[in-house]
Amino acid sequence: MDLNQAIVKAAALLGAGIAMGIGALGPGLGEGFTAGKACEGIARTPENAGLITRTMLIGQAVSESTGIYSLVVALLLIFTA
Amino acid sequence: MMQADSFLLISAYLGAALSTGLASISAGIGEGYAAGEAAKALAKQPKSGDGLLRTMLISQAVTETGAIFGLVISLLLIFGGAGHIAGSWFKVGALLAAGLSMGLGSIGPGFGAGYTGGQACSVISRLPKESNRVTTNMLIGQALAQTDAIFALVVSLLLLYSVPNPTASTTLGHFVVKISAFLGASIAIGIGTMGPGMGIGFVTGRASNMLGRFPRERGAISRTMFLGAAVSESTAIYALVIAFLLIFFS
Repeated sequence: MDLNQAIVKAAALLGAGIAMGIGALGPGLGEGFTAGKACEGIARTPENAGLITRTMLIGQAVSESTGIYSLVVALLLIFTA
Repeated sequence: MMQADSFLLISAYLGAALSTGLASISAGIGEGYAAGEAAKALAKQPKSGDGLLRTMLISQAVTETGAIFGLVISLLLIFGGAGHIAGSWFKVGALLAAGLSMGLGSIGPGFGAGYTGGQACSVISRLPKESNRVTTNMLIGQALAQTDAIFALVVSLLLLYSVPNPTASTTLGHFVVKISAFLGASIAIGIGTMGPGMGIGFVTGRASNMLGRFPRERGAISRTMFLGAAVSESTAIYALVIAFLLIFFS
């Protein structure tokens, strides 16, 4: 393998790792926080359990989006660069 | 080209230091948080002493797991990592990456498990008769948080033991690509499990706390806890997939 090509490929692979690693930090923390607060809400007002669960899942789905962006970018870096 | 053999030892020792060093950060802080909450709770309710002490010790033992994984990888790196494979630049990258992966990967779960333990201790002092139920929920929650440390352990072991040997046609370029891929995999799984580890710990900590205060709602609380923890885990699984791809398909 030509060294120049190898360096580009190496940087892309390292970049994929960094993208997915740091990209997973935020969603993981955020989704956990959402679910923790949802547990609290359901314990205090169990009659709203359905509404709270729905809101929790929608909030987590939005929070997940940046994790999925990171995944897509990492896959692109691995397979196309 | 430089000799890889001498760099193998450097990489193994550096990896060993990073593995235990980083993994101990959050285990220490997490266990300290649990002990602090237990001490605070004891001051309010001196009568709940025995049950509280038991829960605190159990929670600290589980929180310690991540640091023990880090220690195991360090010992493997120091005593066996470099020894039994002849020098290759693949291995030089892999040993450092194995240590980094385990060290970084234990940080999140340690904080998460420690938070869960602290929350459980704090609620047990208010309602000592819910002690067993809260402790069970706490253990399940800590186990969920520690799955992320296990992901990191799996990646570390793969990096230690499934590295290809170089062939006659292996060039410097191949080494450069593969070493970056290994380091990328370790960063992906190491930092990628930090968020989910802490997030799951927060969910299970709040759930344990609420379970102690509102025991009648335990069904709804555990259901929400599992659902929330599973969603929070998803990004760690993405990171694991990327780490596998980087190790095996690069």
